[in-house]
Amino acid sequence: MNPSHGGWLILLTIALAMVLAIFHVPESWPQWLGWLRPAWLAMVVFYWVMELPHRLGLISAWVIGLLLDVLYADPLGLNGFLLAAITYVVWRFYERLRMYSIVQQCIVVFLLVLVTESLRIVVQDVAWSRGWSWGVILPALMSMLTWPFVYLVLQRARLQVRVE
Amino acid sequence: MRAVIGTLLSPLQVIAEAPYLLGDEVGEVIATRDSLQGRNAALERRVLELSQVSQQFLALKQENERLRELLGSQARISADVLIAELLGVVPTVNTHQVIIDKGAQAGVAVGQAVIDAEGLFGQIVEVDQYTSRVLQITDVSHAVPVQVNRNGLRSIAGGTGRRDQLELENVPVTADIREGDLLESSGLGGRFPVGYPVGHVSSLIIDATSPYAIVTVRPAAQLDRSRHVLIVFAADEAAAESSVKSSEVQ
Repeated sequence: MNPSHGGWLILLTIALAMVLAIFHVPESWPQWLGWLRPAWLAMVVFYWVMELPHRLGLISAWVIGLLLDVLYADPLGLNGFLLAAITYVVWRFYERLRMYSIVQQCIVVFLLVLVTESLRIVVQDVAWSRGWSWGVILPALMSMLTWPFVYLVLQRARLQVRVE
Repeated sequence: MRAVIGTLLSPLQVIAEAPYLLGDEVGEVIATRDSLQGRNAALERRVLELSQVSQQFLALKQENERLRELLGSQARISADVLIAELLGVVPTVNTHQVIIDKGAQAGVAVGQAVIDAEGLFGQIVEVDQYTSRVLQITDVSHAVPVQVNRNGLRSIAGGTGRRDQLELENVPVTADIREGDLLESSGLGGRFPVGYPVGHVSSLIIDATSPYAIVTVRPAAQLDRSRHVLIVFAADEAAAESSVKSSEVQ
C-alpha cells in the first residue's frame, strides 16, 4: 500500500472502518444490539480488492486482520485468516464481481460475511467454549443492507482522489 | 506482540470512544448550578456517612490485627489502588472486556484485580504502554473464588456471558446458602485480594433430580455503567510473587 497514487485514501478508509468496528452503543443498552454491527472492515477490504486487486493483497489483508484481532481480543491470527480468505475469493473473481449488479454484490457480501462470522464463532467456541448462536446471521444481513452505501461512498471517494 | 499492536491502535480506541468521553466533558461543563449544588450536598452527606463508618473500621481493623497477632496468624495485607477511567469496550457480543486508560507506564501488571465503587469488576489480562485490558467477571471464560459473607461457605462464581448474572459452580443442594446472601472474594487462588464484594445471590433453584443447586448471583459491581474503576496493587513483593505463582498454577 504505497501512500502515493492515493494510497492514503485506502489507509484512511481502513482506519475509519476500524473505528466503526469498535464503536459501541451505551453499555446499558441490550447486549444483543452488538449483533447488528456490520462487518465494516470486511466490506472495505472487499471493495478495495475488487476495484484495485494490485493494491491490496493477501499480506496486507492479513496484517489488517491482525490489528482487528487485538481490537476484538480474538485469538491472534483469526481475523487475519478470515480477511485473507475474503481477499483470496474476491481476488480470484474480481472481474466477475465488478460486472455484477449491486444486488448480486449484496448477496456475495452476505455469503462471505456469513461464512467468516460462522468460522469466527466456531473458533471462539473451540478456544473458550463460548457457545454457538443464531445471532451470526445478523452481521451478515446488516452487511448486506449497508453494502450499497459503503460501495457508493467508497466509489465516489476513489474516483474523486483518482486512486489507481 | 498484542501489547505493541495495542499501543499502536490506542488512538483509534480514543476516537471510537470520543462521543462518550466528550459527553462526560460536556456534562461537566454545562451542568446547572442547582444540579451541582444538589450533587455537592449529596456527596457531602455521603462523605460524612463514610467517614463515620471508616472511624469504626479503623478501630475494628486494629482490634482485628491484635487478635490475629494473638492467634499467631499473619496480618492481612492492605493494598494500594490506582484510579483508572474506561477508554472503551470490546464490542463483540460474547466477550466481556473493557479497556482502561492506565498501562505499563503507570505500573499496571497482568493479573491485578480491578474493582469499582460497588464491588469486584474484573482482572487485568493485557497491558499495553498507555492502556490495558480488563476481563470482566461476567465473561464466560472467567471465574472467581468466593465465600458467603454470612458463614464462610466457599464456592466459585463463574461468568455466564450476561452482564447481570454470575453462576455458582457445583453447590450441593444441602449447602447453607440463601437468596440475598452477600458473596465476597475469598482470596483463594491468590489472584484476587480477599474481602471485596462480588455479588448477591439472586435466585436459588433446587432440582430434585440433580445433586447440585443452581445458584445465580447478581454482580455487585456496576459492570455496564462504571466509567471509573480502581486497580488494586498488592502492597508488598511477597504478595505479588505469590499471586504470580498461583497464576501459573491457574
